[in-house]
Amino acid sequence: MDAIIDWYNDLMSNEIWFYLIHTLLKLVLMFAVILAFVVLSVWIERRVAGWIQDRPGPNRAGLPLFLLERFGSKEKQPLKNWLHFFGIPESCWIAKLCTWLRLDREIPCWGLIQPCLDGGKLFLKQETTPSYVRKFYFILAPMLVLGPPLVAAAVVPFASEVNTCYGNISMCVAQLDIGPLWIFAISGLSVYGLTLAGWSSNSKFPFLGGLRATAQLISYEVAMGLSIIPLLMMFGTLNLQQIVQFQADNGWTLLPLWGEGLSWQRWAMMLPLGISFIVFVTCVFAEANRTPFDMAECETDLVAGYHAEYSSMKFASFFMGEYAAMVIGSAVVVTLFLGGWSIGFGADAALAAYCDWLAVLCQFCMFIVKLLAFIVFFVWVRWTLPRFRWDQVMKLGWLYFLEITVANIFLAAAVLYFVK
Amino acid sequence: MFESSLCQILFYLLAAIAVLCAVGVVAFRNPVNSAMCMALSFAMVAAIFFGMGAQFLGIVQLIVYAGAILVLFLFVVMMLDIHDEDKSRGSYIHAAIGVLIAGFFAGLTINISLGLPGATSGTCPVVTMCDSFGELLIGDARATSETAVAAAPYGGSLPELSAAAAARMENPSISEADAAAATSIPDVKLLGKCLFTHYNIPFVILSFALLSGTVGAVALARKIRKD
Repeated sequence: MDAIIDWYNDLMSNEIWFYLIHTLLKLVLMFAVILAFVVLSVWIERRVAGWIQDRPGPNRAGLPLFLLERFGSKEKQPLKNWLHFFGIPESCWIAKLCTWLRLDREIPCWGLIQPCLDGGKLFLKQETTPSYVRKFYFILAPMLVLGPPLVAAAVVPFASEVNTCYGNISMCVAQLDIGPLWIFAISGLSVYGLTLAGWSSNSKFPFLGGLRATAQLISYEVAMGLSIIPLLMMFGTLNLQQIVQFQADNGWTLLPLWGEGLSWQRWAMMLPLGISFIVFVTCVFAEANRTPFDMAECETDLVAGYHAEYSSMKFASFFMGEYAAMVIGSAVVVTLFLGGWSIGFGADAALAAYCDWLAVLCQFCMFIVKLLAFIVFFVWVRWTLPRFRWDQVMKLGWLYFLEITVANIFLAAAVLYFVK
Repeated sequence: MFESSLCQILFYLLAAIAVLCAVGVVAFRNPVNSAMCMALSFAMVAAIFFGMGAQFLGIVQLIVYAGAILVLFLFVVMMLDIHDEDKSRGSYIHAAIGVLIAGFFAGLTINISLGLPGATSGTCPVVTMCDSFGELLIGDARATSETAVAAAPYGGSLPELSAAAAARMENPSISEADAAAATSIPDVKLLGKCLFTHYNIPFVILSFALLSGTVGAVALARKIRKD
């Protein structure tokens, strides 16, 4: 036992091994959270859609109990065993109620298993690759769509720092000094996937979808980058961990209620920051290719857009890539505008003073809750607003957002200079 | 030692891929292949920037070149839908002009790179930079004013080594830790300071060149109706 502890101490005292181990652990955690959220957001999408359209949505699929039964047996073994264990006769009303609730077949969990079943179905489907496609790029394209959002997540902080006896651990995978830019650059690369998918399919509708996606993503990237400049002027840093720390100390960007957030300057800054928020969130919708901006795959004009020729898991990669982009977009909005992992009202510092690990755990939960809330908002907008027309999308991006964001930078500068 | 050798291996690997891709841009007959090779080459150059600690420069390379300009390139190439066989072979005059321009740029690049540290001793520039600046990367917050002074021979064309060093040179009384803390984004600040002070006039001239390009594009694209 002592030998193991000694070995552990030696290993963790080595700076390089310590760095490698904690980075790897954070990487696995971040990856698991993103992938779980991709699955979860599909379920949220369908349930919220059902709720908005006044129907149940997928609420039946539960953990199937036939896995516990003997193969081929017609008896509902688990329920019977359970009744037997408590000594309840099978003709009792409890047993009948359980059967009526389908508890003899599955453990209900609000249909949460549905996305897993969908994934399994897509996995087992026959894969058809049309003979007329450009093979290499046809296979490359889904990878280029799914990969970038997962890489971009590396800089998003999901909790504050922990002081261990071996060194400081900052709870984000990569602490870059260029946080938001890294996310824009890497998630911007997924445009290659859409373009190549459209082109390599070698058929008209996918090609049009790919072209639309390219034009839309490039247009909205400009407004997206310009819209966060007022924030950066206020924070004075591009490091996302420091940005969230600033918000934890001085009030969230959109909720300056504690610390220095109560100054006149911060409240005057609410005007440019509010404009930034609206423009940025709209751009995130456009970048994630979702209704009202799903020009690239709108059924009414383009069949299924750039992924019309794809089947089975290749289609699933596009599908997952879209939801991953949505999760990352929500994470960025939460980090920049809604305080990231910060619990708010000075609770972070108080908790950290009490126990580092408790603070980190609470902050992680807070981040997850905020992320979930924003994803629900994302879905809500999708099922509320109708789709724009193509020329309206371009006009909004270039004629309105670009001008508004440039004017907004000067407004923010004026506020920072004149209001003290 | 670990970091230094890793730095060296990565540099050579990325540089080799970048050069291979650059050759691919010219060698491929299919224009889409060429464009994708170019994108990969840009990405590798960005990765080399990252390896040297110039994160901002690397990410700007990715956003501007790989993320925007090349996508537009690809866009146009796909719209034109050039087939491999349609791409005509250029004449000798074209080749001569191409060689002339390429030679001019090659001369320019060689001239600049001969002025870099380690160019004459034949070692990897990154490693030489690390060695001659006391194993500090560009913009490293740990740099002291002494290393900044040591970098002065190259200071004619390169900016000062680090913002921390700059802070210490302006005010020698502050401690090293304070100087490092005062400069949380050495990279971005360094570049900004450099562009808006030392290279301000070329910067403004360049932006006017871009503006005139934009105006020209709008003028060309706009159809003048005669009615």
